[in-house]
Amino acid sequence: MASFQAVKKSINLVPTVRALPSGVPAAPLLNLKTRAPADHHGHGHGSSGPRSDVPPSWVGGVSKSHYSLSTKTYTTVLPATGFQQRLLHTSAVVQDAPEVPDFSNYRAPNTDNNRTLSYFMVGTMGVLSASVAKSSVSEFLKTMAASADVLALAKVEVDLSAIPEGKNVIIKWRGKPVFIRHRTQSEIEEARSADWKTFRDPEPDEARAKKPEWLVMLGVCTHLGCVPIGEAGDFGGWFCPCHGSHYDISGRARKGPAPLNLEVPAHDFNDAEGKLVIG
Amino acid sequence: MSIATTAYNAIFKRNSVYVGSVFAAAFAFGIGFDSGVTAFWDSWNKGKQWKDIRHKYVQDEE
Repeated sequence: MASFQAVKKSINLVPTVRALPSGVPAAPLLNLKTRAPADHHGHGHGSSGPRSDVPPSWVGGVSKSHYSLSTKTYTTVLPATGFQQRLLHTSAVVQDAPEVPDFSNYRAPNTDNNRTLSYFMVGTMGVLSASVAKSSVSEFLKTMAASADVLALAKVEVDLSAIPEGKNVIIKWRGKPVFIRHRTQSEIEEARSADWKTFRDPEPDEARAKKPEWLVMLGVCTHLGCVPIGEAGDFGGWFCPCHGSHYDISGRARKGPAPLNLEVPAHDFNDAEGKLVIG
Repeated sequence: MSIATTAYNAIFKRNSVYVGSVFAAAFAFGIGFDSGVTAFWDSWNKGKQWKDIRHKYVQDEE
């Protein structure tokens, strides 16, 4: 017996429960969730039903967190005696939407004016932007247009009263000769009566001469660019000496290598001053 | 109906009408702005431009 005492004193057994510094007992392997099984024990003595002395889990129970071991009861038992509602308290009155100020003084009485003003300002901004965009584009395109001195040289005025009937005049326009012929009545009839549909470059005389007595053409042979000679050739019109193209009195290619009629430049008649404007 | 509501219903209610009136107003504004600036330029430079002094040098033969 004495020896047993000596053994007992010489061995320090590890305590089964120690305390954390917070005072909560630390029981690492203690499972507080364990409950008695609700079914049979499963070791041979048949069904017995759940234990009647264990409260169900919704009532409460013991729970362990890292810092505390607590027991809670979720059911409330009415106090048996002396129950009294406390009416004196210092907490704030519960409001439906707390801390929202009253903005009614700041609200516009009529929102239609504000709406229209907003749209108006947006639209005015759009008007200004569209004007700026439009003028930017058009000013940029103006930089590509011909300048005034170029435009002034691009036109030539000819005094038609100085050209007698049945005469040719050759003037220079944009570096090229231009034939102007004051045709006689018989020449006009000859040009108009010709069967132009059979020509190499079929074109009626009405489409070439704006006024039947005035024929205005570029004096450049459509074959290789020589200058034809007037009042010559087989058809009473123009004749190109380089390769022998014949043009009739309307400037249409009738014979020889020329593939097209003599070109008619854009021209206009100024009837008031009796002038022809080429270009 | 107030002016604001009338204007809203006439112009701003449909976006197509809104955009169309914006472009139309831009067109009118461009013309008005150009003519206004030109008028100001002419009045500011009165007597200095060729069209102001042309009659001193060119006599139109009538």
